[in-house]
Amino acid sequence: MNRVKRRTMSLLSLVLIIAMGLSFYVYRYAVHGREWASFTSNKAVFSQGQLMVGTVCDRNGAVLATVDDGRRIYNEDPVIRRSTLHAVGDQYGNIGTGALSVFAPELIGYDPVNGAYTPDRKGGKVRLSIDSGLNAAAYEAMDGRKGVVAVENYETGEIVCMLSSYNYDPYYPPEDVSTPEYEGVYLNRFLSAAYTPGSTFKLVTLTAALERIPDLFDRTFECRGSVEIDGEYVTCTGTHGEIDINEALAVSCNCVFAELAVELGGDTLERYANDLGLTGSIKVSGIKTASGNYDKAADGSVDLAWSGIGQYNDSVNPAAMLRFVSGIANGGTAEEQTLLYGKSSGSDRIMKTSTAETIAKMMNYNVYYTYGEDNYPGLELCAKSGTAEVGGGADPHALFVGFIRDEKHPYAFVVIVENGGSGSRTAGRVANAVLQAAVNK
Amino acid sequence: MENILESVSSGFANYITFILRFVTPLLSGLILYRCGKSLLRGRGESETWGYLCLPNGGRIYLNHWENIIGRNRSCDALMEFPTVSRIHGALIRDSRGGWKVYDLNSKSGILVNGEKAERSAPVKSGDILTMGGVQLTFMDLNEEQLARQAEARTKPGTIVRPGITLMLLTELQLLLGIQHYIAMGEEADIMIPLSFAVLAGIMWVYYLFMRILRRRGVEIETLAFFLCTLGLSVTATAVPSDMIKQLVFVTAGLFVFLCLGFFLRDLERARKLRWPIAVVGVLMLTATLVIAKSTNGAKNWISIAGFTFQPSEFVKICFVFAGATTMDRLFAKRNLILFMAFSALCVVTLGLMSDFGTALVFFAAYLIIAFIRSGDFATIFLSAGGAALGGFLILTVKPYIKDRFSTWGKAWQFANEGGYQQTRTMAAAASGGLFGVGAGNGWLHTVFAAETDMVFGLICEEHGLITGVFAIGALVLLALFAIKAAATARSSFYVIGACAAVTMLLFQLILNVFGSLDILPFTGVTFPFVSRGGSSIIACWGLLAFVKAVDTRQNASFAIKLPKRKRKKDTFYTIQDGYDFSGYDPERHEV
Repeated sequence: MNRVKRRTMSLLSLVLIIAMGLSFYVYRYAVHGREWASFTSNKAVFSQGQLMVGTVCDRNGAVLATVDDGRRIYNEDPVIRRSTLHAVGDQYGNIGTGALSVFAPELIGYDPVNGAYTPDRKGGKVRLSIDSGLNAAAYEAMDGRKGVVAVENYETGEIVCMLSSYNYDPYYPPEDVSTPEYEGVYLNRFLSAAYTPGSTFKLVTLTAALERIPDLFDRTFECRGSVEIDGEYVTCTGTHGEIDINEALAVSCNCVFAELAVELGGDTLERYANDLGLTGSIKVSGIKTASGNYDKAADGSVDLAWSGIGQYNDSVNPAAMLRFVSGIANGGTAEEQTLLYGKSSGSDRIMKTSTAETIAKMMNYNVYYTYGEDNYPGLELCAKSGTAEVGGGADPHALFVGFIRDEKHPYAFVVIVENGGSGSRTAGRVANAVLQAAVNK
Repeated sequence: MENILESVSSGFANYITFILRFVTPLLSGLILYRCGKSLLRGRGESETWGYLCLPNGGRIYLNHWENIIGRNRSCDALMEFPTVSRIHGALIRDSRGGWKVYDLNSKSGILVNGEKAERSAPVKSGDILTMGGVQLTFMDLNEEQLARQAEARTKPGTIVRPGITLMLLTELQLLLGIQHYIAMGEEADIMIPLSFAVLAGIMWVYYLFMRILRRRGVEIETLAFFLCTLGLSVTATAVPSDMIKQLVFVTAGLFVFLCLGFFLRDLERARKLRWPIAVVGVLMLTATLVIAKSTNGAKNWISIAGFTFQPSEFVKICFVFAGATTMDRLFAKRNLILFMAFSALCVVTLGLMSDFGTALVFFAAYLIIAFIRSGDFATIFLSAGGAALGGFLILTVKPYIKDRFSTWGKAWQFANEGGYQQTRTMAAAASGGLFGVGAGNGWLHTVFAAETDMVFGLICEEHGLITGVFAIGALVLLALFAIKAAATARSSFYVIGACAAVTMLLFQLILNVFGSLDILPFTGVTFPFVSRGGSSIIACWGLLAFVKAVDTRQNASFAIKLPKRKRKKDTFYTIQDGYDFSGYDPERHEV
């Protein structure tokens, strides 16, 4: 019997298998339980793919979306509904980057201890970083034009305003989105689009020049309305004559920046575009943004010159651009961007503090010299405009990026008005409206 | 303000659930702890059935019905004489008290009262056994001595009182009934809580019956009742109209359990009938193969007079019978080969029915039995190799089986195809967290086969991961108990029986739980006692009888005969005399 007795220990192998399997499961549960609970077929919280629990608020606690009696309901103000459409998301999950999709685990109220169970069965609450009032102001200012308005608190990384236009009222979703009006309506253009940056890209060339060309400020440049590079001409917005680098940025002189681009070379510009976070995809609260693009053209070529002034094959994602200007505003350190209320957890140094301060000063000079301080009353604005040619006979996109130097309102912004024409005039006005709303709240 | 009022009125049921959902894991844990403590505490007292007197006056106690004699250290009766063979012979008692000595191919043979024993010879108290020139006097214990021994041994149920454990389980049953009743809202059916009460009633009647039989060890049944309670909760969620049916199955299972337990009391009878039982098993499988109708791929259901049942479930019991054997046969090769052939027949038949889960369960039981019988790793590896080859052949012949395995480990990639059930199981289980969403509040039951193949997910969803782990723990406890009980078991028949039964239960559990969680391929076997389904529950209770039959703790198991009651208080015997047959310290005691 002793032998038989000892061999019964073989049963322990089964116990061991159970222990190992169970440990493995518990490990997976701890790591992936959140995703599992957020599976759209989890009928505890989803009904036909629609999240049926959870409340989304803006930074001031205004309810943007909640659930009542098994129905998804939104803010009562139609302007807020429309302007926060992309931030909140629609109930059908068409807008994949909306809070209803991205923050589903939080809205479910998932935690590994209680699972998706909440005593009142209403799920969890998500407080977004956006201010619905600012979104509404942006919506009014855009006046139905397509584009992007986004404002970031450059000290905390919080996106306080995020409008993607065109949009619609989530209560009345369009039946047919194939019309030109609704082109790309499910995309949050701030996160998921990339635009030709136009002259706003001169900030990148400037950053490289400041760090690579020691005598930049001692130089004077000659602008004759166009410059010949490799047998082809880069035309300028005007004939600026003899100017220094400050004035060159203020008048957005193509000749000067084309020459600087050729002098710096494709390798250097490519490295700067990468290091400043403008080419790769970045993450905003876990959402991967669309990648930008910088194609390095041959050294000495006219393509290289165009690439240094934001044309050629350049494209930049608005969120990445906002992160870049926020970095300038914040002394060279870009805070990690977040769509949730509260300071983000990380930051990256993207340029030297001295470089950032110099660029900021020059961007402020732009306003004084070109855009007109009177157009931005009460704001200590630093900005750069862009007018990006899109071809095909359409009006160029208007871009306006920058920030205000204001201890109480440390806001950076990016405004893009598609086919809006002149950058500073069209997009600048939108920026002013939103910033005034932000400062004078 | 409006919010508060609203949540008070509509949230009453929610808040009851909120509290009760913590109670289920708590009670489950307590029940498991009490059963575990009662089953596993202490070293386990062995019994003494006789002893051998050495020429020098020393004694060798016989602590089992089957005792190997020899000078190998693993022998039960260790005789350290160079003239004695390593494994010399066996002294075996039958359940009626008769002893036999077996010569296990020893060099010098065995003499009984001077006469050579050819293979085996009966022995009685006072006989002189000669082995390798050493003379031993064999002494049997008579009824009265056995009764005294029984009196002196610790009885279970004194430290951990079974009544209290059962009360905790009753509490769990009633609370589950209430939770389900509340969760059903407007469709609330009084039948649901009533069914739980009836289950509690069945349990208490059983307990009283055991007390009448002077049996105090009901931990094993309590664990089964605990699992059946979860099973009833699963039924209440998934098919509330089947509550009575489920109760009938549990009662039928209990009946089979009792019958088998009483049957196993008599080792001679059980041993004699094991091959006829095995033949019945084979016939059942063959009949299934011929007349069964195919359901969901597997052809394993038989429908007779409106009752559908799964014969392969009952064949499990036959299989355990065929595998179990007493020590004297253990050394006969023919026996093992016959059993291997029988096992192969069962596994192949099940394979032909496309019931691969059950085939695997049988194969696992075969491996454990073969190992316990032979102790030979070569046999095990050979068998496993053969099975792997067979499995490979099946995969090439039946490509649709391969499809099922192709999504294994990739459930989330094929969430709406091959991984449909697994992803739902995981999503629901994650929803439940550690404490569950409360009985009757889940949704997984709307998915096909949730109450059988994915029942672990359903338990985790409604009662939480903790309760799910406890449900697994209940079966693991049975395995640990089987190992512990083997140390003091009477016959290898019972040890092998219990181990084979536990293997089947555990392996089924492994396939069920880890299959539904995409850790193993999804094979669609049941979770013992918990999954809904008649054949499965009845068969599980049947298998449990084998575990009951290995429980030799004093007055614990009805499957073990008690010695006859002493007619009156002994005049010359008191416990203070230190009369003890446990055999641990023979020097101290005189008979």
